[in-house]
Amino acid sequence: MSETDLVLGIVVATALAFDFTNGFHDTANVVATSISTRAMSPRIAVGFAAVLNFAGAFLSLEVAATIAEDVVDPLVITTTVIFAGLVGAIAWNLITWYFGLPSSSSHALIGGIVGATFVAAGADAVFGEGILGKVLVPAVIAPVLAFFVGAVGIVVCYRVVGRQRPGPVTRGFRFGQVLSGGLLALAHGTNDAQKTMGVIALALIASGHLGAGSDPPVWVIVSAATAIALGTYTGGWRIIKTMGTRIIKMDAAQGFSAQGAGAAVILASTHFGFPLSTTQVIAGGVMGAGAGKRISAVRWGVAGNIVVAWLLTLPAAALFGALVYLVTDLFPVAVGPVVVAVLGLAAVATVFARRIRTPAPAPSG
Amino acid sequence: MVGAIVDTQALWETVVAAFVGGVGTTFIFSLAILGATRFGEASRDGRSGAAAAFAALALLGLLATAAAIAFGVIVMTTK
Repeated sequence: MSETDLVLGIVVATALAFDFTNGFHDTANVVATSISTRAMSPRIAVGFAAVLNFAGAFLSLEVAATIAEDVVDPLVITTTVIFAGLVGAIAWNLITWYFGLPSSSSHALIGGIVGATFVAAGADAVFGEGILGKVLVPAVIAPVLAFFVGAVGIVVCYRVVGRQRPGPVTRGFRFGQVLSGGLLALAHGTNDAQKTMGVIALALIASGHLGAGSDPPVWVIVSAATAIALGTYTGGWRIIKTMGTRIIKMDAAQGFSAQGAGAAVILASTHFGFPLSTTQVIAGGVMGAGAGKRISAVRWGVAGNIVVAWLLTLPAAALFGALVYLVTDLFPVAVGPVVVAVLGLAAVATVFARRIRTPAPAPSG
Repeated sequence: MVGAIVDTQALWETVVAAFVGGVGTTFIFSLAILGATRFGEASRDGRSGAAAAFAALALLGLLATAAAIAFGVIVMTTK
């Protein structure tokens, strides 16, 4: 095995680890509303989301193409750069998970790759226009759009069923949440698993195993789908609690409206190849469904913390990506990623050990 | 400048599709629930004509919701 192949293997493993944290971190987006309105028990909701995330990963490759071609120059970056970007993204994902903040895995990934590319290959290798047009503008528009879709949706919904007996209406919307939650999980799989596919494709292009502009090979699609599904099944109860109960106290109709808004925005964006943050979109939908009922129903302090995490994600992950690249570059080609991977695993083990000692209040069921 | 960088046509289509899809699905599913709820009441009251109309509303609402979900998946897979 050559040094290049060894580094490529480490990069692919790291990308799949990121994909796992993505599923783990973003489970909350998909299942929190269903759990908090008791449309599904936590275990069933998470299992359901895992299966549909797996299926969703096979549906489209538009976002993967954007990650692989439109954000950085695939012809000048190396596997070490991609490794550093991935580690930066994982680090930010774990930090925000530790504090229970639903930040964006997508922006962490893009930020990490951009930061590492910037220090390794210079500003010319970073496609500013691609980042602005494909990432930043959609990042601003998508959660605002989800907010309004969720808000208008809940107003329409209350107009139609507001005078009916609450029992049957609640049961009806709980059933509806099984459908909207399923669609959301499918949409999440299409959008988020593709980011990992895009990064692995980028690594294969950088190492000469894949031509520029090619679709990811089947093994990449299958492994990315599996990693995100396993991560989703493992679940991230801390963020589920924030998303499901701390932003608003939700009824079943609001849960349906928020999930419908999130699914519609993600599906439409995936169709046009915008790699948006599913976290931001669903949080926007949840806030909209709360505000549509009553502005004061939204806990704006919690919402503010989430927005701060959103704003910090791209620059923070870029900073981590750049730092990891500089550390990795201190060592010979094949040694750097191994050293950083070992240090990273030790850090992750420490974080998990601390969290296990102070466990999150996992929902029952 | 931003207009030259951003694919405004695609972005606009995304906004319209998301709004119509999200609000539209919530609306038609709400109609299905309204139909199902009122169907139960009309049946109990022995109003068979109204019950049939509300049953039809519930069924159509459910079918339209299922169609909307299927359409979303098809749009995604055919890109």
